[in-house]
Amino acid sequence: MRLPVKEPASCEEPPPFLGSWGRVYGAVLLYLASLIALFYLFGKLFTP
Amino acid sequence: MRPLDWSILIGSLVLVVVYGLWRSRDSGTVNKYLLAGKTMPWYAMALSIMATQASAITFISTTGQSYVDGMRFVQFYFGLPLAMVILCATAVPIFHRANVYTAYEYLEQRFDAKTRALVSVIFLIQRGLAIGVALYAPAIVLTVLLGWPDRLTTIVMGGLVVLYTTIGGIKAVTWTDVQQMVVMMTGLVAALVTAVWLLPAEVSFLDAVRLAGASGKLNPVVTRLDWNDRYNLWSGLLGGMFLALAYFGCDQSQVQRYLTGRSIAQSRLSLLFNAAAKVPMQFLILFIGTIVFVFYIFEKPPLVFQPVELARLENSGAAYRQVAERYEAAFEERREAARGLLEARRKGEASRVAQSLERYREADRDFEAARQEGLRLAREERNQPGFNDTNYIFLGFVTRYLPAGLVGLVMAAIFAAAMSSISAEINSLATVSVIDIYQRHFRRQAPDAHYLKAARLATIFWGAYAVITAEFGSSLGALIEAVNILGSYFYGGLLGVFVLAFYFKQVTGNGAFYGVLAGEAAIFLVAHLTGISFLWYNVVGCLVVIAVGVGLSRLERAFPARVTA
Repeated sequence: MRLPVKEPASCEEPPPFLGSWGRVYGAVLLYLASLIALFYLFGKLFTP
Repeated sequence: MRPLDWSILIGSLVLVVVYGLWRSRDSGTVNKYLLAGKTMPWYAMALSIMATQASAITFISTTGQSYVDGMRFVQFYFGLPLAMVILCATAVPIFHRANVYTAYEYLEQRFDAKTRALVSVIFLIQRGLAIGVALYAPAIVLTVLLGWPDRLTTIVMGGLVVLYTTIGGIKAVTWTDVQQMVVMMTGLVAALVTAVWLLPAEVSFLDAVRLAGASGKLNPVVTRLDWNDRYNLWSGLLGGMFLALAYFGCDQSQVQRYLTGRSIAQSRLSLLFNAAAKVPMQFLILFIGTIVFVFYIFEKPPLVFQPVELARLENSGAAYRQVAERYEAAFEERREAARGLLEARRKGEASRVAQSLERYREADRDFEAARQEGLRLAREERNQPGFNDTNYIFLGFVTRYLPAGLVGLVMAAIFAAAMSSISAEINSLATVSVIDIYQRHFRRQAPDAHYLKAARLATIFWGAYAVITAEFGSSLGALIEAVNILGSYFYGGLLGVFVLAFYFKQVTGNGAFYGVLAGEAAIFLVAHLTGISFLWYNVVGCLVVIAVGVGLSRLERAFPARVTA
């Protein structure tokens, strides 16, 4: 016997912002790049 | 701990447990008990995933690590957002559409029963080894610093976790995680604000950051590639990505969180929230350790932060007195050099700043050398070459300098971190035990109520197992470190088999099964024969699983009778 699992409501539901999942993923990667750049600058700025 | 601290700690524990039980009052079927009926919103899953990952020892030792080694540990998390994007695009929709309770159930749909059984057993061994340590490790720190009996601490933590996890299942785990995450963040922010507030009046926040920079602590991005260096940009991005892929994509304690989502979109959002929030959160935790370091430039820190070892050293005779005198002098010199540097900066004379900076750096090196001498003495006294006091730095600061109320809040945060990780582990161990082992191999046809009872009993079993193994923690000694390292050996193999399942349609069950075994063997060989950092083990294991899995599958198709015989 296989225990019943409820089907998720929608398989292809779009994201609530930016229109497509591809764009959301792109935004996350851009955010990561900015964060690394910011950390790098932070280290450089305060390390004499 | 003062009465106000106790009130806050006990109040937060009671609130978390009661709230978790209240939110999970409707968990009367296996589906609701193990998957919350697939009704969870993204924010609950997101905070639960974060809380599960942030264990107490991470909380305690990350701040200490920053004190000792600077902020470069944050790079360990740079690969996490990359992994989250990959998982959102692949694993999340695949697991949802497969309608599974566990990640390993999907492996039978894709390969065969033996691959599912092998990977399930690997998971049970890996998590089973780690769970007692997850409970014991914070208990021993609290015992040493506050004098609490470690047995009582593990029983209280373990007992509360077993109570709400057994009664409420994954709903209780998830909603208590949400509460616990809020407690953790409040405790962290309060600790940071207090650490800044405790700095001497003449030292501003910017002065503190500059002193941290002058001490080489502000190193969140190290661009030099060194295969033996644990934390740099490249090991963080690539090795960290593989580790995060394995942890969030193949470890049931995490997969189960986003399997409870009411839709694929909700599950994806929960992982993407982690992609956005995890790196800044780790940065914040490390920054607290850095500010604690600056605080101790002006307030003399103990020679060794582990108080029991310090007391033993103090009674050890002439060698200690010599080191202590050197340490005292080095502290005074560094403090004066730091004041001189800040003064020179205020006056803005470039040549004087350069001179003061050189003096400060030399004093900092001397101070560090004196501290290392103290640690060396402690190692000799204890006859334990691997001894260090990193885990005691932050909590030592909290218990010694934070005002009443805040100590209780930070302790509540430590308890929350420990309990959120342990509850998820117990819940996932019970799920795999019942779904992948018991139901699949021992009792295939039984009513839903039977499996629900089995899941509750399995939760009690794993909870009791965690408490009992934690009870033996003190006699495990150095084995704890070995157990932790051993746990990190398995992820590469797990990741490899899921990569085969998702991306290599031609790979057979035999290919996947023997691929996993080969991958695990490769990791053990690399770990014992080379000196490369453990972050690369996952890369090696994953690649070997893929290579062997693909190769064997080709052979099997070419010579079906010989390979399958």
